[in-house]
Amino acid sequence: MSLQNIIENWSSYRKGAEQGGHHNYEHLWGMVIDLNKCTGCGACVTACYAENNLAVVGHEKYSRNLGMNWLRIERYWDEPDLGEESVAEYQHHGASFLPMHCQHCSSATCEPVCPVAATYHTPDGLNAQVYNRCVGSRYCSNNCPYRLRYFNFYSYYEESWPAPLHMQLNPDLTVRDKGVMEKCTFCVQRIRTAKDTARRERRKVRDGEFTTACAQTCPTSAMTFGDLLTLHTPGGGVGETEAASLWKKHQVELGKSRQQKQNPELRGYRVFEGLNTDPRVLFLERVREV
Amino acid sequence: MSVTGLLFSGHSSCTRADTVVDRGIRRLPVLVTLFVLCAFAFFLPQPAQAQSPIPNAVPPTDTYSGPRVEQPIEFPHDVHVEQNGINCMYCHTYARRSKVAGIPPTSKCMGCHLVIATDKPRIQKLTEYWEKREPPPWNKVHDLPDFVHFNHEKHIDRFVLGNDFPVERVKEVCAFCHGEVKNMTVAEKSRPLTMGFCQRCHQANEGPFDCWKCHK
Ligand code: SF4
Repeated sequence: MSLQNIIENWSSYRKGAEQGGHHNYEHLWGMVIDLNKCTGCGACVTACYAENNLAVVGHEKYSRNLGMNWLRIERYWDEPDLGEESVAEYQHHGASFLPMHCQHCSSATCEPVCPVAATYHTPDGLNAQVYNRCVGSRYCSNNCPYRLRYFNFYSYYEESWPAPLHMQLNPDLTVRDKGVMEKCTFCVQRIRTAKDTARRERRKVRDGEFTTACAQTCPTSAMTFGDLLTLHTPGGGVGETEAASLWKKHQVELGKSRQQKQNPELRGYRVFEGLNTDPRVLFLERVREV
Repeated sequence: MSVTGLLFSGHSSCTRADTVVDRGIRRLPVLVTLFVLCAFAFFLPQPAQAQSPIPNAVPPTDTYSGPRVEQPIEFPHDVHVEQNGINCMYCHTYARRSKVAGIPPTSKCMGCHLVIATDKPRIQKLTEYWEKREPPPWNKVHDLPDFVHFNHEKHIDRFVLGNDFPVERVKEVCAFCHGEVKNMTVAEKSRPLTMGFCQRCHQANEGPFDCWKCHK
């Protein structure tokens, strides 16, 4: 279905975003990250490692930018121009933290460049990576403006999970081998389980029934995960989720490269929105006293 | 009531893997009755089942033959299924509610075999495992690659439970992917279980076509 979408209508693939996406979405998973709440503790990163079988590459490889952390905490100092002597001082002011994982862009730049369609959009609105289809051309990661795709330059299995550590691997997803691109999936295995449960009980997936590993772990509940379908099709079927109401509250609309906010005080923004990638993660700006 | 019916009614009491021997002995009268009924059942004429086709289903036709997987005990599926009419899901009980169909706990085997056919060498071997309190080390026959997500529950729901198809005839649906296990002793892989095989069936039966439905 999705693949057919790409093959039959490749040229209009990108046009979709302005017209509200190129799919009849079943869900539109998205996230809200409140940077006011984020303390930069890194618990979400650890949770992601545990949930998604991320390889631990070691200090040497990590310093060569070969880390496989699907979720990274970017750190920004608040006042960059204080000069060398006042390093201590501005550190005292503190840093801002920006947890970055795949933005699951509605018109993702990584998707049209894949020569084998190993990355594509699912009817759930997820930017999917099919590991066994990937040939490792790495075009997608070169085309990702956020640099949120990670390539397996090595086979990490033995190094990363020596026995008995392999017992901790999550059986709901694979261990990726050498030559495969990987990225955040919004914990698709959890989405799958929730949908299976809902189907068994003959009902729709409820808001808050499950969440991603990072959002579940965050001690300050900085992350809110949920279905944004109501934003996409006003009055469409599902009740409004917590995430969707936050999007609405901060007047950020999907499918736009520039937002018209009535109230400039609202904190919501999307990273690199101007590139018209239509990311699905909303950040709420950090506010602090100067 | 047929043998199958009786076995089904006793099903919920013996699902626990850690049933201990003395619990088996306490149920001895029940088991003896069962045994007698079983013995009768062998002599009763089997009711001829009208084999209507499965509704809303196009069974796959591909075949496969490969090396036989050896098992610690030569388990005769044909005796259990064909001769005694035991439902697949009596032993593989998780098929209807989980991803995997599951191997029955030894306690379930012993539920019958404490009294039935105890003189047979295969049963004696099983009893040895039971007394050592070890599961027989079965080998996997239908093994899918690591990157494939397959859910038994959904398929049973699609073709049986949610399809008005009698559960007693579930073996005809199991045969879609597992072949005629009812005629085999040790189960053998008789369908290719490749992506093409899955896709042809999904196409014919209007299954989902999204990559991430099956790949992980
Ligand atoms: S767990 Fe929460 S507070 Fe900690 S770094 Fe992640 S988002 Fe920030």
